[in-house]
Amino acid sequence: MSGLRSLVARRLLLGAVQTVAVVLLVFALTEALPGDAAVALAGDQPDPARIAAIREAMHLDRPAHERLADWVTGLFHGDLGTSLTSGRPVGGYLAESFGPTLLLATLTLALLVPIGFGLGMLAARHEGRPADRLISSVTLAVYAVPEFALGMLLVTALALRPGGLPPTAVGYGTDLLGRPAVLVLPVLVLLSRPVCSLSRLVRAGLIDALASPYVAHARRYGVSGARVHCAHALPGALVPAVQQLARTLDWLLCGVVVVEALFVIPGLGTVLLDAVAERDVPVVQGLAVVFGVLTVLLHLGADLVAHRRAPRAGVAA
Amino acid sequence: MKHRTDGTAGRAGVPGGGPAGTAEEPVAEIRKLRVEVGGRAIVDGVSLRALPGRVTALVGASGSGKTTTGLALLGEYPPGARVTGEVRPAADGPVGHIPQHPAAVLNPARRVRALLTDIARAQVRHLPRRRRRAAARERVLRALAEAQLPDAEALLRRYPHQLSGGQQQRVVLAQALLLGARVVVADEPTTGQDVLTKSRVVEQLAAVAARGIAVVLLSHDLDVVRALADEVIVMREGRVVESGPARRLWRAPRHAWTRELLAGREEFTQTAEVSGTGGPVLRVRGLTAHHRTGARGTTEVLRIPALDLRAGECLAVVGRSGSGKTTLARCLAGLHRDRRGEILLDGTPLPRSLRDRDRPQLAAVQYVFQDARAAFDEHRPVLHQIARTAVRLRGTGTAAATREALAALAGLGLPEDLVRRRPGRLSGGELQRAALARALLARPRVLVCDEITSGLDTLTRRGILDVLTALLHDRDDLSLVLITHDLDTAALAHRVAVLDAGELVEQGPARHVLTTPSHPFTRSLVASTTRPGGGNTCLNSRRDRGLGHHGRRTAPPAELWS
Repeated sequence: MSGLRSLVARRLLLGAVQTVAVVLLVFALTEALPGDAAVALAGDQPDPARIAAIREAMHLDRPAHERLADWVTGLFHGDLGTSLTSGRPVGGYLAESFGPTLLLATLTLALLVPIGFGLGMLAARHEGRPADRLISSVTLAVYAVPEFALGMLLVTALALRPGGLPPTAVGYGTDLLGRPAVLVLPVLVLLSRPVCSLSRLVRAGLIDALASPYVAHARRYGVSGARVHCAHALPGALVPAVQQLARTLDWLLCGVVVVEALFVIPGLGTVLLDAVAERDVPVVQGLAVVFGVLTVLLHLGADLVAHRRAPRAGVAA
Repeated sequence: MKHRTDGTAGRAGVPGGGPAGTAEEPVAEIRKLRVEVGGRAIVDGVSLRALPGRVTALVGASGSGKTTTGLALLGEYPPGARVTGEVRPAADGPVGHIPQHPAAVLNPARRVRALLTDIARAQVRHLPRRRRRAAARERVLRALAEAQLPDAEALLRRYPHQLSGGQQQRVVLAQALLLGARVVVADEPTTGQDVLTKSRVVEQLAAVAARGIAVVLLSHDLDVVRALADEVIVMREGRVVESGPARRLWRAPRHAWTRELLAGREEFTQTAEVSGTGGPVLRVRGLTAHHRTGARGTTEVLRIPALDLRAGECLAVVGRSGSGKTTLARCLAGLHRDRRGEILLDGTPLPRSLRDRDRPQLAAVQYVFQDARAAFDEHRPVLHQIARTAVRLRGTGTAAATREALAALAGLGLPEDLVRRRPGRLSGGELQRAALARALLARPRVLVCDEITSGLDTLTRRGILDVLTALLHDRDDLSLVLITHDLDTAALAHRVAVLDAGELVEQGPARHVLTTPSHPFTRSLVASTTRPGGGNTCLNSRRDRGLGHHGRRTAPPAELWS
């Protein structure tokens, strides 16, 4: 058990270092972008004197390292800083837009797990037969279509006609649950590729496990077919699937920029896009912290599940 | 379908007068089995009767069709096999299986209890729902106790990789016992085990037979067959060469092949006179080696104050598994870095790690591993991999290296068309020869052979040992370090060093150490090994010693053999 605890401690420490590295990198990259928030605010009147005035008002004329140090000091007090463009605290800003993203991610995950595992197990059970061929080729084909293309296609086919589904979430604010119809298309698009990769992983893992001597042994000793599938073969196939699930959830929570932009959903992805366009450095950095922490925690969780399911393999820290 | 047949002649009852005492009806039977794969018969005309409480041994070299016959009893055949003949598996109960590698049939992702509970659950269906769980658990615990696994509660919560090889084997046995198997097929249950573990397995299987279960033992380990078998069936290339009661077969083998098989063990007792007159090639001084345990701690696993290897000498390092033999070998080869003390090659200390050794030093100490198949890349032809040694370690050109490799391989009896194939097409014995050729191509001063013959059948092992003897004879500058748990293999050496729990307890000339051991551990090691060439009396004493030695006496009494 102490091995597990030290694994968690090591991984958390490493995760903290990784998050710091991400924040530094993001800061350096936004600094390297041409223009800053003052230029963005000045908009159509790029009068140098006006830009300089805005810059001074925003304290953007101070050296980069001082601004970073200020922001880091604030972070230690739980303050993510203040948005340059709107003047609101970044923390509140993010909390507000995290809602829609979390809703989308939860819905997608709730559908992804049963569909992904179901299709994978179904295909493995009928390995090489028509059902398997159909599932395998359809999942491969769908996986090959990028999200934005599929999104456009679905909008054209299902939304742009009388009585169709709403094509975007414009006008519903952050209260998406009030109009569930708004969520159908985004969730469909979000599901499309993860379902394919998950079901293919489950299928491959299950086929391997079903061909293993330990499954043959369980069958030989009279364990029923369904129980062999679920209790003896599936646990071995679970590890890669759980890792894939963590990657997917990470992708969903860290704001799926394309999908949110396409359906105009006010989630983290939209916030990120706007903040970069407006050179709103504190918001971008706040997002980097949130994304970093989420990624580290999700993957640690997946590794712990993997550690439990395949303790022999060990998990590289 | 049942045939009542007369009992085997010359048998004096079955132990304890148990359920097996009266029944002579076979619980499973194979008649004239022929299994054909791709037009080639791998088993042809084999008949076998598994009698309750008796041990029927199938003996033969690897590839003789033992496993195919054994699996037929389980109703399993190789894919695409054409099967003719009659197989009557146990009518009134399932057949248990103890495979060669018990770890393979234990699910690595599930705790030990998973399959055991599933088997037990099927047996308690008749009970009311709320009592099922307790009843299943009780059955599981009883089966574990019957398989002599103490501390069952804790064991059930472990994963298979947290068990020792012996425990894994007993868990698999417990599954068969829980199943209520009337026949248990044990496939090479002692391969690669040391002497004491072997005698524990023998004891275990004898106990299974004593419960009235028919044991079908597939083995090339004649010691174990000698100690256990009531009936022996000798197989060669899928056919039965000879069969009969063990005692008759041992005393008067009728077929030339059986005689050859039985004679296999007596070849190496005559040791060459102590040569190795040259000065020491390799000197070990004050060596201690450690293994990491957990995050910070280390345990000392090996302590060798002084050990010398002279030029042209063969030094056998013997001991039980876990005694530090392999760690010593790995220290010599630079594969184990966590060590202190000095290893001197011609007076110059060898760096601890392989990475710090220069090419001549790398070439000077070569290592041959136990698992030859794992020591080759399965995707490249064997010849290329062998020639690579000369290219890497001696800077030979590719063409010259290939020529040299072919010559070396031919010298070890491997023809060119064979070694141009990939490793998958070669047998275990052939691959081990190839591994030897690869090491020799470096022109080493010291060749470390780590259990290179365990896991091979008697005849293949004899072939490899012949090669080693010839090498020692032909190449004066070559010294061998032979890591082995098999004292008969050790008898090939000039000198023997005995390790016990990491301590060097005894070293000296082979004949001296093996015939008049001075340390108590060496004496126990020598005593628990069958000396070859003995007749029936020897078998008797083997049964007494091998089983009685370790306390629990559950085997059929020795009178069976007289």
